[in-house]
Amino acid sequence: MKSFGMIIRIALAVFGAAVPFIGSPYLMGVVFQVAMWIALAQSWSMLSATTGYLSLGHAVFYGVGAYVCVLLTGKIPFELALLAAAGSAALFAALVGMPVLRVRGPYFVILTYGLSELVRHIVMRIESALGSFGRMIFDVPATEVLLWWMVGLAVLATLGAYAIRHSRFGAGLAAIREDEVAAETVGVPVTRLKLLAFVASAAIPGAVGALALLRTSYFEPAQAFDPVISFTIVTMALVGGTDTVRGPILGAVGFALLSELLWSSLPQLYMIVLGLTLIVFILFVPRGLSGLFGRIGRAS
Amino acid sequence: MDTLMSGQLLFAALVSGSLYALVALGLNLVYGTLRLLNIAHGDLVMIGAYTAFWMISLFAIPPIISLVLAAALCALLGWAVYAGLFRRMLAKPELAKRVEANSLILFYGISVILQNLAALAFTSTSRGYQYLDTVITWQGISMTGNRLLSLGVATAVCFGALLFLRFHLFGWGLRAVIQRREAAQVVGVNLNRVQLLTICGGFAVAGVAGVLVSMTEQITPFMGFPFTIVAFVVIIIGGLGNIGAGILAGFCLGLVETYGIALTSPGYRSILIYGLFVGVLLVRPEGIFTKAVRS
Repeated sequence: MKSFGMIIRIALAVFGAAVPFIGSPYLMGVVFQVAMWIALAQSWSMLSATTGYLSLGHAVFYGVGAYVCVLLTGKIPFELALLAAAGSAALFAALVGMPVLRVRGPYFVILTYGLSELVRHIVMRIESALGSFGRMIFDVPATEVLLWWMVGLAVLATLGAYAIRHSRFGAGLAAIREDEVAAETVGVPVTRLKLLAFVASAAIPGAVGALALLRTSYFEPAQAFDPVISFTIVTMALVGGTDTVRGPILGAVGFALLSELLWSSLPQLYMIVLGLTLIVFILFVPRGLSGLFGRIGRAS
Repeated sequence: MDTLMSGQLLFAALVSGSLYALVALGLNLVYGTLRLLNIAHGDLVMIGAYTAFWMISLFAIPPIISLVLAAALCALLGWAVYAGLFRRMLAKPELAKRVEANSLILFYGISVILQNLAALAFTSTSRGYQYLDTVITWQGISMTGNRLLSLGVATAVCFGALLFLRFHLFGWGLRAVIQRREAAQVVGVNLNRVQLLTICGGFAVAGVAGVLVSMTEQITPFMGFPFTIVAFVVIIIGGLGNIGAGILAGFCLGLVETYGIALTSPGYRSILIYGLFVGVLLVRPEGIFTKAVRS
């Protein structure tokens, strides 16, 4: 069963990488989206699924990555800009992490949301003070290149999430989720572990934000820091299931395809479906699609 | 400096302060008695605002009457949410164990649904109407009738709620549930009834606030979220379940906001509100809350 799941994952990645050779721009767009959401949901799970600190503000890392990238594009090579985007998102997480991670439970959830909105409004203010209402980018890399990078990030995020879960580090994080005070008492360095997880879960979204920006070649702060991004990540991960590494993949693939069907024609309906699914899963399927499939697998 | 000392600015601060106190009152009641973090609270304000708008533009029913209609509509929604979702959630031990986090996510889902239903039904065009907008000048302060009405109604509802909690038997029961849930049940408070009526009442108050907002501001499907944030700032400053202090904190936020904007520029409004929100949570992460959360 385990090796079977691995084969499917490898096949997905190979398919994603091979898509440019098929040459359909539409298919490339879809794969780009799916890879993007897998990368985001897996990164989110590095902090939130492991420690139970639900972040409702991951759009801030995506936005910081996009912003850094738009400032650097044209000045340095594209790969370096990507690295800088990931680096600055991680740095931002490291800076705010200490105070933010002291806040627990539901207050952490609304705090991350508020923080993301605060940064969004500050960037909007800066941009309007500079007299720019959205920036165009020229000279973006070819779509194939962007797609390969995005698929690479999705694979990297999945491997990272897997590695964290199966390491000592991950065991420490699980201890924090179960009982933080007890973990601290028996000597788990909770503050350091939480901070590391926070930084780890911020880096890839920074790079994802940069890639998504290069794909649309247009930067607008209200969009780059759009709270819908945070919400979508959480929904995908929770619906997919947070107990396993495959959960976020299931959620991301499912919703990305659903969004292909509905988003362009009926964006509001897509959001309503998103909200309804979230409610149904929280109430009736707390272990997500992954748990659902696992149960079916065991029953047969 | 002159503008800062003027009664004009104080009036503006009181109008928005009373509104913030009113919005936060509903959130505080629901959180205090049910431990549900209603992140969709601002969307109820939006529903109240649309109620007033459609009533006046379709049937020429003035906002004064819409106040009652919006309150009833939101109360009904509160009943539906409680009976449909939360009774179910509170009954499941594995969900009830983490009520607050789960309720936050659930309400986020509800919020998204409400916003997008409104966008689907009414389009994203911002709406507005004119009502009591002639300027009255008193002691050199220019006021419009709708702002005066807003100040009056919001203040009256807030103080009415305070008096109700202090002098009515049901109000005593409600405060008992906020302070000691289990003990309240032991002495014979009907927990289920208190919770149901409180969620209806809390939602209704948000609807009333929405009607008041609609008289002076633009109405859009996505207008609600800033009110949710404002309400959270207020109840975190005032203290959870502390209804009186929450009302005071609402007026304080109105003052800080109005004078803050007068000193800088309106472009800083969101930064100020979100900054306060993040700041308060960081400085007092669990300080004010823990006292009441313990059960």
